[in-house]
Amino acid sequence: MIRMENLTRTFGEVVAVEGLTLEVDEGEVFGFIGPNGAGKTTTTRMLCCLIKPTYGTAFVKGNEIGKEPDALNIRRIVGLLPEAPGLYERLSSYKNLDFFAQLYDVPAVKRRERIKELLEMLGMWKRRDEPVNTFSKGMKQKIAISRALVHDPEILFLDEPTAGLDPRAAKTVRDFLSELKQEGRTIFLNTHNLVEAERLCDRVGVINTKLIAIGSPKELKERFWGRTTVVQLKKLSPNVVAAVKALPFAKNVRTEDNSLLIDLAKPEDENSEVAEVIIRSGGEIQFMSELKHTLEEVYLELIGG
Amino acid sequence: MRIGKSWIVAKKDMAEFKTNKYIIFTILLMPTIMGVIVPISYFLPIQFFAEEDSGPPLDIKLTTNWNLDNHTVYRGNYINASFQNMEIFSSVIEASLVRNSTLRFVVVSNSILDNVSLEYSIITNSNIYNLKSREGTVVKDSSIVTEESSERKEITLTMLNFLLFFYMIIPAVIPTFVASYSFVGEKNNRSLEPLLATPTTDLELLTGKMLSIFVVTMAATWVSYVISTVLVNTLAFPLLGHYPLPNALWIIGFLALAPLFCILSISLNVMVSSKVTDVRASQQIGGLIVLPVLVFVFLTFAGPAFTSAWMMGIYCVIFLVIDVAVVFLSTKVFRREEILTRWK
Repeated sequence: MIRMENLTRTFGEVVAVEGLTLEVDEGEVFGFIGPNGAGKTTTTRMLCCLIKPTYGTAFVKGNEIGKEPDALNIRRIVGLLPEAPGLYERLSSYKNLDFFAQLYDVPAVKRRERIKELLEMLGMWKRRDEPVNTFSKGMKQKIAISRALVHDPEILFLDEPTAGLDPRAAKTVRDFLSELKQEGRTIFLNTHNLVEAERLCDRVGVINTKLIAIGSPKELKERFWGRTTVVQLKKLSPNVVAAVKALPFAKNVRTEDNSLLIDLAKPEDENSEVAEVIIRSGGEIQFMSELKHTLEEVYLELIGG
Repeated sequence: MRIGKSWIVAKKDMAEFKTNKYIIFTILLMPTIMGVIVPISYFLPIQFFAEEDSGPPLDIKLTTNWNLDNHTVYRGNYINASFQNMEIFSSVIEASLVRNSTLRFVVVSNSILDNVSLEYSIITNSNIYNLKSREGTVVKDSSIVTEESSERKEITLTMLNFLLFFYMIIPAVIPTFVASYSFVGEKNNRSLEPLLATPTTDLELLTGKMLSIFVVTMAATWVSYVISTVLVNTLAFPLLGHYPLPNALWIIGFLALAPLFCILSISLNVMVSSKVTDVRASQQIGGLIVLPVLVFVFLTFAGPAFTSAWMMGIYCVIFLVIDVAVVFLSTKVFRREEILTRWK
C-alpha cells in the first residue's frame, strides 16, 4: 500500500529524514516511533504530498508522491490527522466536517449521513451545532479524527493522535482506532506513546532521521533480548548456577537476587530440562516465567536512553 | 482549475468572517465613513455657499423656430425665437434664446439669456448667463449664473472626481484586515495543514481564500458607492442643477479600478502573511505596504486620470498589469511546500 524508496528530505543543511526504505501493507497498522525531530512528521507530510522529498521517492497505492496528478490522487485516498487538530474554531463541528467533506467530493446526499455516523461513534452528534471553540481538547481531537475520516479514506495518517489528552479521552481515541483497525483500514501512526504503539500496531519502525529498526513489537523485543526464562528459587546456590550453565542450549545465564535468568532459543522445549537440572542440583523452584520486555525498552535501547 | 473548489473555500471563509466581530466592524465602518461622512463633509459646505446664489440653472429646453440677428425690435411678442446682437424694446419674449443683446422694458419668461444688459424689464423662469447689467429689472424664479458660480461648479465637479480617490482606499484597506485573519489566523490556528491535505490544488485554495476577501471587500465598496451616490446627488444638486453621479469616471472607478485595487491589496497581504505570525502585525505591515504603494502609484497618475474616462481606462490597464505581476508573486508564496516549510 505504501512503499518508500530511499526517501530523504533535507531543510538546508539539516537532514530531517534520510534514506527511508520500507513498505506498509494494505490493512496494516504501522507505527512510527522516534524522538522529537526524528522525522516522523516530515515523513507523513511527504507521504500525504504536502512536501516533496529531496531524494528518493515513495508510492502510495501505486501513485508516486510529488508528481501530478498522482499527488492529487494520493490526497484523495488518504486522511490526515495532523499533530494539532487545526479546526475552524468559530464554526460548528458539523460545518467543519461538512466543509472538508465537500473538498473531498463526498456527494451531498452522503455527507450528512457520514458526518452523523462519525459524530455518533465518537459521542459528539448532540453537540454538532456548537462552535468548536467551546470544546475541550479531547472533543476537538475527536472532531479532527472525524475530519480525517469524513471521506472514508483507504489510508489514515495519524500524527500523535492521543498527545496531550487526558487518560479518558486518550482511551476513547485508542478504542476508536482499534475499531478502525478491525475494519481493515491501513493506518500509519506516528506516536511517542509506546504502549499505544504496542497495543495497536502490527509493525513498528523506530526512526531517528534514519530507520533504525523495523518489525512487529514482538520481533523487535526478541531481536534484542531473545527469549529469556526467569526461574525464581527459594535460595540460589553456586551448584544450581553451574549446573544450568553447563546446559548446552542455555545462553547468557545470569543471576538477579534469588532468580536465574536464562536466554533460550526454544523455551517451550527447553524449560522442562532446565527445571529438571535445577531440582537435581538441589534448587527449589518457586516460579518459572518468561521475561517480558516492553517496546519502551526496545526504544530506549535503540535511541539511547 | 476547478472554480467550484475555490468557491467551497470562499464560502467557508465568509462563514468565518460572519462570526468575527473585528471583520464585521471593519466592513461596516468603511461604508459608514466613506459612504456617509466623507460626502457630507465634502458637499455640505459647498451646498451652504450655493444657497447664496439664485439657485441652480433651470432645465429649460428651447425649440427656436426663427432667428433675428443684428436688429432692433419694438413692441413685439416673440415665442421660440433666437435673438443675437439685438436691441429689444417694449416686447414680450417667451421660450427664446437671447444672446449679446440689450433689453429695455421687456418681459421675458422661460428663456435663456446670455451676455445681456437688462433695463427696467421683468425676467421670470429663465437662466441668465454673463449678465452685464440689470438696472431696474426684476428677476424672479430664475437662475443667474455668474462667472464665480461657474467656477465653483467646475471646482465641485473636479472635487467630485478627486473624491473618487478616497473611495479607492476602501478596497485597499479592508483586505489588510480581512486577509490577516484569513491567512495568519488560519496559520496560527494550524488549520492550514489539514486544508492542504485535501485534493485541491494550491491555486484553487489561494483563489478561494482571495475570493472570499474580494467578495466582502467589494460588497463594502459598492455599498459605499451606492450610499455616497445618493448623498452626493442630494447635496450637489442645488449647486449643479443636475445629479452628477453616476458619471463615467466613477463607474470606471468602482467597476474596474476598485476591483483591481482590491486584488492588488489582497495579493500583497498574502505575501505579508507568509512572513508574520501575528494578526495585528500582519495588519500593520499590510497597511504600511499597501497604502504607500497605492498612494504613490495613484498620485503619479492621478492628475490625468481624473480628467477623462480614457485616461482612467489607461490607468486601469496599468493597474491590471501590476495586479497580474503581484498575483503571480503571491501564487509563488502560496504553495504547500512554502507554507509548511518557509512560512513563519
